Amino acid sequence: MNTVLIPLFAGIALGVALYARAIPQGGRSWWGFAAATVALAVAAQLAGHSWLATLLASAAEFLAVGMVWSKGTPEAAAAARKYLTAVVLGTVATTTALALTHFGEVRPAAPFDKLAAALLMLGVALKLGLVPVYFWLPAVARASSAMTTALIIAVVDVGSFCELLTLRETAPWMFEAYATVWIALAVLSLLGAAMLALAQSELKPMLAFSSIDDMGYLLLGLVAGGADGLAGAWFGILGHGLGKVVLFGAVGAAEWHLGRPVTLDTRGLSSVLPVAGAAFMLGALGFIGVPPTLGFVGHWRLYLAGVELGGPALVAALYAASAMGLLCYIRAIHRTWLGPLGLGPLDAPATGRSLPAMAAVVLLVFAIAPVAFGLVPNLLRPNPLHPGANAHPLVAAVLTGSVP
Amino acid sequence: MHPTTLPILLLLGGFVLQLLLARALTPVGKGILATAATLAAFAASLMLVPPSMDGIVMQANLLAPWDGPFAIGLRVDGLSVLFMVMGTGIGAAILLFSVRYMEHEEQGTTRFYAIMLVFIAGLLVLSSAADMLGAYMAWEVIGLCSYSLVGFWYKEKVATDGARKVLVITHLAGYGFLIGIVLIYSRAGSFDWTDPAVATAFTSGVAALFIVAAMAKSVMFPLHTWIPEAMNAPTPVSALLHSACYVKAGVYLIARMYVIGDGQWHAALEAPLLAIGCVTILIGVIFAMAQTDLKRLLAFHTVSQLGYIVVGLALGSDLGLAAGLFYCFSHALFKGTLFMCAGAIQHAAGTRDLRQLGGLAAQMPGTARIWIIAAASIAGVPLTNGFVAKWLVFSAALDKGLLIVVLVGWIGSVLTAFSFLKATVNAFYGVPSRALLGKRIHDASPSMLVGMGSMAALCLVFGLAPQLLMLPIVAPAVHSLGFGWQVEMTWLGILTDRSTLAVTIGGGVVLVSALLGIAVYRLAQAPAAGLVSVYSGGEPLPVGDRPGAVDFAEMAEHAFHPVYALDPDPLYRAIWLRLTRTSGNLRSVARATLEDHPSRAIGLAAAAVAAGVWLV
Repeated sequence: MNTVLIPLFAGIALGVALYARAIPQGGRSWWGFAAATVALAVAAQLAGHSWLATLLASAAEFLAVGMVWSKGTPEAAAAARKYLTAVVLGTVATTTALALTHFGEVRPAAPFDKLAAALLMLGVALKLGLVPVYFWLPAVARASSAMTTALIIAVVDVGSFCELLTLRETAPWMFEAYATVWIALAVLSLLGAAMLALAQSELKPMLAFSSIDDMGYLLLGLVAGGADGLAGAWFGILGHGLGKVVLFGAVGAAEWHLGRPVTLDTRGLSSVLPVAGAAFMLGALGFIGVPPTLGFVGHWRLYLAGVELGGPALVAALYAASAMGLLCYIRAIHRTWLGPLGLGPLDAPATGRSLPAMAAVVLLVFAIAPVAFGLVPNLLRPNPLHPGANAHPLVAAVLTGSVP
Repeated sequence: MHPTTLPILLLLGGFVLQLLLARALTPVGKGILATAATLAAFAASLMLVPPSMDGIVMQANLLAPWDGPFAIGLRVDGLSVLFMVMGTGIGAAILLFSVRYMEHEEQGTTRFYAIMLVFIAGLLVLSSAADMLGAYMAWEVIGLCSYSLVGFWYKEKVATDGARKVLVITHLAGYGFLIGIVLIYSRAGSFDWTDPAVATAFTSGVAALFIVAAMAKSVMFPLHTWIPEAMNAPTPVSALLHSACYVKAGVYLIARMYVIGDGQWHAALEAPLLAIGCVTILIGVIFAMAQTDLKRLLAFHTVSQLGYIVVGLALGSDLGLAAGLFYCFSHALFKGTLFMCAGAIQHAAGTRDLRQLGGLAAQMPGTARIWIIAAASIAGVPLTNGFVAKWLVFSAALDKGLLIVVLVGWIGSVLTAFSFLKATVNAFYGVPSRALLGKRIHDASPSMLVGMGSMAALCLVFGLAPQLLMLPIVAPAVHSLGFGWQVEMTWLGILTDRSTLAVTIGGGVVLVSALLGIAVYRLAQAPAAGLVSVYSGGEPLPVGDRPGAVDFAEMAEHAFHPVYALDPDPLYRAIWLRLTRTSGNLRSVARATLEDHPSRAIGLAAAAVAAGVWLV
């Protein structure tokens, strides 16, 4: 899959860099950590499915912790500690699981197979911030600059999830034999995070919880497997990455204008930041999975995965999560962005800084990209010259139209 | 370029040009461009009529390949052509009206016209989509367009609140369509409307999911509450939303379902669908009677009228489908006209509040005449298409022995006439209200009059000669749904092949009465225009007085008091409040137990995962 992910990561890095030049996200150390995080994530993709790739991806996660810590505030340090805890334990758990299974190639004898599966689940949950071990992601979102969280979700988490997609092929037993537990984990994240997102009054943690909610969807596609399940997870994770950059970017622009965190008490920001408002709306609709965005290309298949895995009950859970996701985003759009301008309950003065042109361009490109890819998803074929060369075979089969 | 894709590509071409020429064109220029693109699409749609009359199904790919093996394919049959002609024809008239209506808008006209074009194109893709996935995509695209257009004045809270309600209700119910499609695909491995495997997978439950989605789009009770809130949009948006492009999407879906397995779903769902339609007819019109805002009044009448259309389709017979589809087209004509008239009134008088209007017939004679034709049509007055449409629905219901449906339809018609009498008198006759004194009110501009007048004229044309609509447009649509209906319709819509003697005689009596009334009026030397006393159901009002909108609304509220308790919005609000309260409580618990204590969260997760893995 690296022929898609590498350009995607490079594009995200470029976008974030241009945005951060216009709207500062941190000092020199932040730039160093951010560049190194993306470079290692790209290198991990170049290394393919190997121990080296795992090592590089883990290193990228540790450097992402540095990105959080580099802000220098006590809150950021606390968030970085939480994130570090998750990364360390997650890395230990997943590495042990991979070691027990010889990188997924063998199924060890009982009870080590169960141990490996349990460690993998715990490690994945910690790294992706699934419920109930999500403690680090909202904390990081609150304490860091917008693009820090965007990079962590769109590059580090997306990379981790794609590793899991590869493992789904090499060690299918780890998913199929314990599908019930995986589904439980996914549903807990879906519903729990959707409910918690609804309870947030600040936009950045709300976006963090919606990421966790979306990861629940993607996990269902991964566990369902098959051509449509994996293709759903594949398109879904790409839409996830692009969507989070634009959503966090728009909120970051609003913070830049206000000089403080954006909450649901802020009103009518589209009047002063129309581009950021439009970008947030497009990003949200794509993230919810409304056609014709890339999110839809993934989401309808994830619904299909839900039907195949759990029948009407699981579909009902998916519907409930989708409904809560929609309500959450629509509330944010209508309270924060649309309507008459009002800067908060006390109408505290804003810095009044307008959106720099470069940041506006970045937001527009990332807002339009999911729509463009939604109209032509075949552009995300892993390798146009050699279809499926680097993709999961079933995903490639879907993309090339040769599904059995 | 395939003729099937041409109407859609013309509209999308117009969209692209709107974006490219945004800085070069004035608002009027943008309006003319949009009108031209839609007129061209209308002409291209009309080119599809002859093949559809011959029963030819035209196929082409709009976007191939799209997603792996899936293409956005088109399959244009009679039903598609009906919606394509309706969407582009009425869209063109509304856009022509918009040219002058929107000319003073300071910003956002590019956005307005661009989205209007995509809106119409979305309806065309929906109605001609070869499979359900393509239809669902178009379904949601028109949903997004309506959301954007209703919230056009995004700095105004009332506009954005309306847009929010449109999106939330229709999108949440629209998941029924998506889940139904996914269930079908998981069982049949296909999305194709006409695939026999799909017919097997299309159970009553799946059909019910489709119908829930259709109910929200087509404002069936209790999912209708978004439509009165969507009134704070520019009038052309309201006109398009109510007449052709949005509320008709649900009608299309219900009609299209008949091609799946020869409409086998109908047996199980006929009664519930008829009940929903009948309740909607009454709820819509009773709520309409209590309105004093002209656009809100029209919005509730849309609810009621859509009830008639759904009743026609729910009857499931060839005549019922013909009635429903004829009604669908007719409603597009008269409702689009009425909204444009309301917009012209607001444009000229600065208000659409019936309490602040009056006597406009003198200053806006063109608008008044057009309004009266459309109002007569919606009320079902003979010589209009509304009369033919209602007659067909009643005939189809009588054919099936469903007298209760006829009774409900008749009551709805009487109340509709009553409501429009109020609106007409309050807006156009009597003494102008104080609010209008000193205002220089002028009639709508020529292009606005042409836009709405052309549609009003068609209301009369299709009322006098309904076969002009029935033979080339409606009958092929009915045939495409698998019904071998032979049209035996003559002038004025009189059916000659049915045992609807009673209806025919009744219609004849009504027609003769109307003609006699006109004759008496003429022979008795009609008095010169002036103020006269008005009979309002009780003691005649004094000369110069009239039953005011407020009196009327209060009277309706008094008479139908229990019905107004059937507003489902308080229930929706209660669900929302309960949900947010629960999520707030969950956050408190989660923060105290998980977020602030990572070790506890990790320990809990490890134990749960270990237990789960060991138990599996």
